[in-house]
Amino acid sequence: MRLEKCWFCSSTIYPGHGIQFVRNDAKIFRFCRSKCHKNFKMKRNPRKVKWTKAYRRLHGKDMTQDLTFEFERKRNRPERYDRNLAETTLKAIKKITKVRVEREAKHHALRMKGKKAKDHKEAVKELEQSIHLVKAPAVFQQDPTLTLPKMQVKVSQKQSEENNAMEE
Amino acid sequence: MVQYNFKKITVVPNGKDLIDIILSRTQRQTPTVVHKGYAISRLRQFYMRKVKYTQQNFHEKLSAIIDEFPRLDDIHPFYGDLLHVLYNKDHYKLALGQVNTARNLISKIAKDYVKLLKYGDSLYRCKSLKVAALGRMCTVIKRISPSLAYLEQIRQHMARLPSIDPNTRTILICGYPNVGKSSFINKITRADVDVQPYAFTTKSLFVGHTDYKYLRYQVIDTPGILDRPFEDRNIIEMCSITALAHLRAAILFFLDISGSCGYSIAQQAALFHSIKSLFMNKPLIVVCNKTDLQPLEGISEEDMKLVMEMKAEAMKTVMGQGGEPANEEAVLVTMSTLTEDGVIAVKNAACERLLDQRVEIKMKSKKINDCLNRFHVAMPKPRDQKERPPCIPQAVLEARAKEAAEKERRKTEKDLENENGGAGVYSASLKKHYILANDEWKEDIMPEILDGHNVADFIDPDILLRLEELEREEGLRQAEEEDDDFEMDGEELNAEEKEALAEIRKKKSLLIQQHRIKKSTAESRSIMPRKFDKNKEFTSERMGRQLTALGLDPSLAINRARSRSLSRKGRKRERSSDNHGDAMDVDMDTPSKKLRARSRSLSLSRSRSRSRPPSEVTPGDGFKDSAQKVKAIKIAKKSVKKRNKDARKGEADRVIPSLKPKHLFSGKRSIGKTQRR
Repeated sequence: MRLEKCWFCSSTIYPGHGIQFVRNDAKIFRFCRSKCHKNFKMKRNPRKVKWTKAYRRLHGKDMTQDLTFEFERKRNRPERYDRNLAETTLKAIKKITKVRVEREAKHHALRMKGKKAKDHKEAVKELEQSIHLVKAPAVFQQDPTLTLPKMQVKVSQKQSEENNAMEE
Repeated sequence: MVQYNFKKITVVPNGKDLIDIILSRTQRQTPTVVHKGYAISRLRQFYMRKVKYTQQNFHEKLSAIIDEFPRLDDIHPFYGDLLHVLYNKDHYKLALGQVNTARNLISKIAKDYVKLLKYGDSLYRCKSLKVAALGRMCTVIKRISPSLAYLEQIRQHMARLPSIDPNTRTILICGYPNVGKSSFINKITRADVDVQPYAFTTKSLFVGHTDYKYLRYQVIDTPGILDRPFEDRNIIEMCSITALAHLRAAILFFLDISGSCGYSIAQQAALFHSIKSLFMNKPLIVVCNKTDLQPLEGISEEDMKLVMEMKAEAMKTVMGQGGEPANEEAVLVTMSTLTEDGVIAVKNAACERLLDQRVEIKMKSKKINDCLNRFHVAMPKPRDQKERPPCIPQAVLEARAKEAAEKERRKTEKDLENENGGAGVYSASLKKHYILANDEWKEDIMPEILDGHNVADFIDPDILLRLEELEREEGLRQAEEEDDDFEMDGEELNAEEKEALAEIRKKKSLLIQQHRIKKSTAESRSIMPRKFDKNKEFTSERMGRQLTALGLDPSLAINRARSRSLSRKGRKRERSSDNHGDAMDVDMDTPSKKLRARSRSLSLSRSRSRSRPPSEVTPGDGFKDSAQKVKAIKIAKKSVKKRNKDARKGEADRVIPSLKPKHLFSGKRSIGKTQRR
């Protein structure tokens, strides 16, 4: 029993799931669910479909080359069973997975690194440009901070109640 | 040789039937449509074709008859004579001759009429010629119809003749009627011949087959023969005579010792002597039957003498090989078919005699030398007296012995299975013969999958090394990371600024929503001018709120707005021509008091905002009544909603109203199969 990879989205296909398509040139396409199968039938290129692993790898969203990927490779010659080797392999798998996950997280963090600064810059700009939507220019001249105007309690009772009601 | 093919002669049709067949075939297979306007050559051709076609068919059918019936001269004389006896050779030949003549006549007719047709000058003439031709042909056939009927009868009878091979080993049984010939053949073969107490139960030849020394013998049962001069014999007897005459067979002459057949031994002996000429060169055995009624020793003196005479005659037919004493037994035998006493002995004796005779003849003939040449076993001539047995090396002998012993002793998997409960209970351990570094590991179960990975993909003899490498690398990397893990915190907006930003964004999204609604219905909706503000959206309170939100003081604006409002100024239509006075008191002389009261109450209660229920129809709306307005509002809301195209199962799909709807599970289909329901 083997866990296969979906040809379209590269997720693992567990036994009992998905469809296998064998083309006339004997190439086998495995799909994890009908979504991938239907996309394939529509002749969509997985490299252009945003949610697939192929796209993500190609566009640098996910880690591409790493030592941890080298461990998992399909070997066509079966090895003779060795209990010690099996034990070590099982333990190793866990460690490798951990390392890989950490590295992927690192990669993601690296990718997202400049985001905070950028967001801040954008926020400041927006504030500056659109402060007139919430603060009248006259008020802004008097109080040039980029905050909401201070409420004046001078208005009549009724109005002060209705002040907090939702506008529109 | 047409020996066995009497069954394959095609049916000879009746005269009338033959005519019908041929004429209808002509009508079907030749073109039928002709008009007098056609070219004359075409007309002539049309009718000539018909005449020729008919002639050809007649020719074919009659030829078939002539060819398939056997020519009495060409077949084995036994069959020839048999057919002659049964059907009278002359009559037979005559019938066939008539058929032949008819065939020739028809050919001539056709030829003549075709010649005439060549000069036919009109449709009618050609047609009459054709009619005449066909008519004459049919008359010819009509005239030979008795012959055809006769031939059909012969064919039917011939098909039922027993299939006798004249060249193979045959045993012929003959004798007076009722002596026990048919009983004998019933005993030794699988033939089922009628056995009855009256004479001439057997009316024709019957064939059975029996085996002796791995060879097949034909046994032919004949009808009984009476002692009469040759010319007086009837057809049935002639059958037997024919068989006797032409078949080279061993002859069993049956004698009824007891006389219960109705004829005495003297009569039977007389018969014997009258037909003994037929026994030339054939092994003859005189069989005394019915010994259960009368043993051979108990007959009278004269009878004994007669029997001995017959025996002497029979001896003469014995081939002169070997001493007579040895063959004495095989010439006169006794038996009883009722008690089955001696039946087998008789058969064996007959078969033996026949075989010897045939072998002798074969040996004497020239053909045997060819056969003999083909059998030759080459034996090497020994050059000296030394014995040379086959040589088998010792090792091989030992191995053989060991193998034999092992085979007895070795326990097979099958035995193991049977011991442990049989096929269903015991499941063989397939891992028993695994070759592993350590035998304890044989029954280990190794997982194939772990955490979504195939374990087999990771198995590698030097996985440990690589893992170490990886961990080293990881360690290095982590060390590096700690160094430059400073994410510049940088500036951040403070809480108030964040609040302002949130407010800005909310406002922006609201604007966008409004714009979308406005955009989507702008073309189909008429824009109402603001003066017909039915929902009372644009109030001074609202203005005041918005201004406050922006941070301005709205009181001035509100006051100004109020002072300019319509209610203060008064409604246009309510102004009478004289009253230019104060807006407040202008309503005094209005036509209806109600209106005045309402307008006053309206103006006084201006401060309170009032929104109308959405279904209320205001004058400038354009709706007939509130129902229409409610529907319009609903449709407008729906049009903005984006349609769900997911095609997912919804609330309505949960219920199957009827599990077996009748229209799917019953009835026939007008086209197609009903294999799937």
